[in-house]
Amino acid sequence: MSLALATLLYEWRRYLAAIIALAFSGLLVLAQVGMFTGIGKAFTATIDRSPADIMVLGPKAESLMNGGNGLPRRVMAQMYMHPEVVEVADLDGGGGMWSNDPPPGKKRVREWIQTSAVDTRSDAVTWPRDYNENIRVALLEPYSVAIDRTGMAKLGIQKLGDRASINGKTVYIRYILDGYPNMMQPTVVVSRDTLRLLGQASTGSRVGPLMVRIKDPARAEAVRDQLNATSDKAYRAWTRAELSEANDGAMMKESFIGIMLGFSVFLGLLIGVGITSQTLRGAILANIKEFASLRALGVSMGSLRMIVIELGFWTGVAGLAATAVLVGVVAQLAKMGGLPMSFPIPMVIASAGFLMLIAIASGLLALGILKKSQPADLLR
Amino acid sequence: MSQSPHLLTPGQSSMGKTAIVAKGLQKRFKTGRTYIEVLKSVDFDALHGDVTMVMGPSGSGKSTLVACLSGLLRPDEGRVKAMDQDLWSLPSGRIDKFRLDNCGFIFQGFNLFPALTALQQVTTVLKYQGYDVAEARRMAMVALDEVGLGHRVNQRPSELSGGEKQRVAIARALAKQPRLLFADEPTSALDGENGQIVTRLLQRAAKEHGAAVICVTHDHRMESFADRVIHIEDGRILDDRRVTSQPAPAAADRPLIGA
Repeated sequence: MSLALATLLYEWRRYLAAIIALAFSGLLVLAQVGMFTGIGKAFTATIDRSPADIMVLGPKAESLMNGGNGLPRRVMAQMYMHPEVVEVADLDGGGGMWSNDPPPGKKRVREWIQTSAVDTRSDAVTWPRDYNENIRVALLEPYSVAIDRTGMAKLGIQKLGDRASINGKTVYIRYILDGYPNMMQPTVVVSRDTLRLLGQASTGSRVGPLMVRIKDPARAEAVRDQLNATSDKAYRAWTRAELSEANDGAMMKESFIGIMLGFSVFLGLLIGVGITSQTLRGAILANIKEFASLRALGVSMGSLRMIVIELGFWTGVAGLAATAVLVGVVAQLAKMGGLPMSFPIPMVIASAGFLMLIAIASGLLALGILKKSQPADLLR
Repeated sequence: MSQSPHLLTPGQSSMGKTAIVAKGLQKRFKTGRTYIEVLKSVDFDALHGDVTMVMGPSGSGKSTLVACLSGLLRPDEGRVKAMDQDLWSLPSGRIDKFRLDNCGFIFQGFNLFPALTALQQVTTVLKYQGYDVAEARRMAMVALDEVGLGHRVNQRPSELSGGEKQRVAIARALAKQPRLLFADEPTSALDGENGQIVTRLLQRAAKEHGAAVICVTHDHRMESFADRVIHIEDGRILDDRRVTSQPAPAAADRPLIGA
């Protein structure tokens, strides 16, 4: 066993502070990343989990969030002119004032909501892939709605079967969804028929974004290019992956999520650097005389540096392992609370790399003391 | 530094030869706005096979002298010729190598890694000298046997007494077969009995191993074991007294370690 590993194991109490500091700054960063990305993913969940291969937005749309004013209704029919297009449906929805039916003595909840319509066929292009048969059956009933678990409190709903109203029209909660939280404004999922009954279905000359299914999903990019080649600036077709990416990008760039995430990541790393470097420095300084005696016996500064780098490396490994456990626990808790977290691999790798860098750099910084001070002072 | 220290073991043949010579050593330290001259043109020499005691009150510059002689602290002025090399004209990497090949150190505070067993303390340095694991282990076992700790090689410092710790430190210094052995107050933290054991081990390193032992101390109990006693005060040598006669090459060519 190497000197570094032996020291870390034997004096683990000394290094524990550094490991915990690393773990918690890792947790701080990754939990925020996970939470915000999870929330962001929930925003576009209906897109990401839809069976549509291609989506068609207005010609100047940059993402679903700033998709312009929709597109002319005739584009829907135009899509079918492509021989590979199987199904076209528009994403329809509206909004309105939600009010619950409060239990006696409780205050009535009034809340602006948005509605989102799905076609209640399990092979419909607007039917999310993770919706099950129970949801479909539940939504078949006129005036039935589904809401996400995280929206229940906000909408004043206690249980399935509760009654509420949208713009004065009575609806019934027939399903509680998981994994579709919306932190801006609660979303109420209804069937296209119910949307029509609520008077919110689009009837004008313009429709919302179109969902398109094609024969061979692998040909999505080719079909998109062909559709765009004949668009005559009336629309723009996107593959689902492309749009999802643009949505994520737009969310990070334009909404406060990006700013919050950036700031909290910065804060987490700052705390990590501060505490880890100080504790690791202290731990290594506790052995500085021993390092000085090795130096006196002729072990070169480079070799000592290698020992300290190794020490930092193992501390980093232990810290990252602790981070993984903590993040796992937190993600599980969040999932139980109805908030799915999402951890983009590049962010995880970047955070891990940075934590490791902190650990190693702090160790090297501590060794600087050995280089600067007189060996005679240390060797007493 | 082509000579491998373990090929050139205990040169009884080198007994009485000059191991290290220093001329005109000066060192000053800055404290606040003033400089303190710690060494004022000190001349020094030590012979193989001698235990040379450097004695003096604290602040007399004796530790600084040892640091300058051993290549740990660059003097402002003066030259050190150790093992026929002009020590301070070497680049710092070569000075490290010189210490690795030739120098052993023993400190008042033992300076042992808390995480390592007695055996590991010794082998760690040997590995940096380039010995493989098995050879380092063998040499370390011999050295620990020599200091009477053959039965405690797997103990960590926390399980050893002060005297035993110092003996591990001595084994660490001796295992690499140093030609120069520097000791800075090696007995100050020890009781009388352990102090004597340590002193005898230093003497044996000189007599049987032919090392030049340079020992800084203000422990007068050690004086009776010295071949030569040098008194230093205020950065100057006051008195240089040979206690025993010049060491003669011994009859038995018995190395201390690695026999």
